[in-house]
Amino acid sequence: MQSSGRAKRQPAWHMLASEFSEASLNEKGSGEYDPSFVITKLGAKVNRVVVAGLLERLEVRETSNGSTLYQGQMRDPSGLHYFSVGDYASESMRELTLSLVEKTEVGEPVLLLMVAKSRWYQTDEGAIYTSLRPEEACEIDAQQYALWLTRTCEDTLQRMKHFTDSLAAEPTREGLVNAGVPEHMIDGLLVSRNHYGEIDIENYTLNIMQALDIAEGRMEAASQPVAAPTPRTDDDTDESSPSGESEVKDSIISIIEQLDQGDGVDFETVLTNAVARGFDRSLAEEKLDELSNEGTLHEPRFGWFRIVA
Amino acid sequence: MSEKYETHVKSILAECPDADSEEISAAFAKYEKEFFIPPQDAMRSILRRFKGDIAPTPSSGSSSSSSTTKPTRKVSRLSELKGDDRDIEIEVEIISHNIRDQMIRGEQKQIAFGLLEDNPWEENGEKNRWEYKDWGPNTNITPGSVVRIEGASVNEYQGKMSLNINQSTRIAVVREGTRPVVAPGEPQDISTLPAEGYVCIVGRILAARPDQIHRKDGSGSIDIVRGRLADESGTIGFLSWEPFDHEVGTLLKIEGAQVRTFRDTPELNFGRTSKIEIYHDKNFADTEELSEKTVLTVSELRDGARDVDAVVQITEWAKRSFTRDGEERFLWSGQIADPTGRCRMSAWNELPISEDKLPITVRLKGVRVRAWQGVPDITVDTTDQVEILDAPPWDNDLDLKNHTVEVALHDLSAGPSRVGISTSAIVVSVREDSGFIQRCTECRRVLREGACAEHGSNDGNTDVRLRLAIDDGRSSVSLLTNKEATLGLLGMDESQLQDAVNDAGQVAFVQSLRGKMLGRKISASGRTIVDEQGAMLLADGASLVEEDAGLRATEIRAQWRVA
Repeated sequence: MQSSGRAKRQPAWHMLASEFSEASLNEKGSGEYDPSFVITKLGAKVNRVVVAGLLERLEVRETSNGSTLYQGQMRDPSGLHYFSVGDYASESMRELTLSLVEKTEVGEPVLLLMVAKSRWYQTDEGAIYTSLRPEEACEIDAQQYALWLTRTCEDTLQRMKHFTDSLAAEPTREGLVNAGVPEHMIDGLLVSRNHYGEIDIENYTLNIMQALDIAEGRMEAASQPVAAPTPRTDDDTDESSPSGESEVKDSIISIIEQLDQGDGVDFETVLTNAVARGFDRSLAEEKLDELSNEGTLHEPRFGWFRIVA
Repeated sequence: MSEKYETHVKSILAECPDADSEEISAAFAKYEKEFFIPPQDAMRSILRRFKGDIAPTPSSGSSSSSSTTKPTRKVSRLSELKGDDRDIEIEVEIISHNIRDQMIRGEQKQIAFGLLEDNPWEENGEKNRWEYKDWGPNTNITPGSVVRIEGASVNEYQGKMSLNINQSTRIAVVREGTRPVVAPGEPQDISTLPAEGYVCIVGRILAARPDQIHRKDGSGSIDIVRGRLADESGTIGFLSWEPFDHEVGTLLKIEGAQVRTFRDTPELNFGRTSKIEIYHDKNFADTEELSEKTVLTVSELRDGARDVDAVVQITEWAKRSFTRDGEERFLWSGQIADPTGRCRMSAWNELPISEDKLPITVRLKGVRVRAWQGVPDITVDTTDQVEILDAPPWDNDLDLKNHTVEVALHDLSAGPSRVGISTSAIVVSVREDSGFIQRCTECRRVLREGACAEHGSNDGNTDVRLRLAIDDGRSSVSLLTNKEATLGLLGMDESQLQDAVNDAGQVAFVQSLRGKMLGRKISASGRTIVDEQGAMLLADGASLVEEDAGLRATEIRAQWRVA
């Protein structure tokens, strides 16, 4: 006997970048003030998130209508969040953004925690991309980051359990209730299963294991900006270290796939991401050229790369 | 043509000798097939058609009759409709949906009826409710869903408007129903009843007494019966508008009872269409067992509840006097508590309670509950509703006066307003107006630009508070910490806080609070006010919770078996 609560503030989900960025389903009521949601593979119906990670990039972009838009990337153990701060943001959020730009320019590592609204947009081809619009954010220390990781892991594990429980249940509201799925997961799970079909949640388990390693201090949290050009040296013979030429190409393609938000991905971003994945910068540059020449990639504008469809 | 309608066709021909018998027969067939109107009921309409009017050929619409060529009338509000509107289109929310069997053409046919509401998208907008009948019945009409109805017609009967959904009406579901759909005729547990709608339940009578409702216009009164029904899942009050002479203890099955929610308390209404019968089930809990269910805890009290039994401890009690109609009257009121929380109690008669003996434990029987600012207030009308107990049924050492109950955030946000609670959750917002504020000298409202919404410009009194949003991933609650709690949380005294704000400026000061609190777990205690806008926790104590991430991570691995 609970009221519908459409006017109430939407709750915030603790979520890893992998779950959020893989979402391609959205929902928006027809009313002007209806909240908009991104629905993840695990069935979370997300309007707002609490996310954290290493600030990897933050750049200003002048838009065509003269307003200022800051675009950034934040990395957690599972992947990247894309966010933007525009003139619409609160004064304090814009001030914080300015100070963060200065820090990223000099390469100072910043661990950031933000409460953000989920955003999505659809390309002409129909692909859905998600991004974030931070409402409030602050710099955090490694201890707070570790706490955020544990909360996020626990919430994600809980969602994975509800997701798994829901698979055995009849795909109706009643079926899910009987399967013990809590109210706040039901709407999302009902539509996510339809949209995503069969999904593999093993990746999320791997993300969680890695995140818990960091929280327990077993693994160094990324505390260097990955964007800093620190190519792997030759003595790095770790067997997992990628080095094969085809691997470089595959990685470049997947980087562009992931980062392309419609306009392609710029040269510098492709290379810094390749370096972050452990490849030599000059090798990556060479392979990027090759991919361009052999027609796998094209440059819609100079220095911006897209995959040839 | 079918001979089925022979007698009916003959009667039409008797009145209208010029009419074509084939056409008459076709008209009957059309009425029956498309509108489910049996020939005897269609007689008058068909007669009128063939008798008065020569021009309109039977129905199929080749004529230029204005009613058939009129385009679909699209409206957004029910109030825009007139009694004779046909072929209309509107978006509505389905409030209730009931299915009834009806014999049509010697065939058992299902007809659906219920309530719908216009203006489905505006949260607090003005909404109108109409009844509807669905002759389809359409399977995609479910309670709680928002549908676009295309091609329905308006029915006006004794000044009351309703909507007819015909077989040719198209129903497009715009938003899926969010309420569970229950098969008609299936008894529901009392604890799972919806806040509004028609239901079927099986329950035992715990209380029943005749009562009267006085018409507001003074035109007399209506005899009713009020009482309470229970099953193993809970109890609910009822009100019968029809004679009701079942005794306490009787087990009943009631179909077509209407749930209405008054204040925060749902109540069953029995009327002409409700079917009440004695039910036999040897295994159903007996009266004594069920009576225990009416013993509510403080956390379960809801505004508007009646026939409530409770065991509570009175921690404060005082006599107040007031004047009404030039006569001095007395009211006794005070604080009560049980281990689930605190609230208030008022009595209109003196109870055998002396202030120096407090706290004392009492058993309350058949009392009613009102709420003031969301906090329940038990009303005791007569002295015999109160029985003084020697000792509380819980641990006697419990100090209920200062007792706080830990409640999960989600339960606070979904439940009633409560006093004496604490909770913990993650800080997801520190509002810009946290810190020093000016309150109206009259009403304590926060001044906006030096003025109170009610009392205009004034100097105001300086106060300190934080305005936060806290969240558990399911619900968000607004947290307001008072001066004491704020200073305690920040570890500052008022002058240090003033220096901090002066040094940094308001914006940077708030940002520094975010650095301290955003994403952190906070524990707060105080009282809640829950209304349509959500829940608000007014805290007189708050602290950040220290956590060990490494330990948590290891616990999570163990709990979830993540190697």
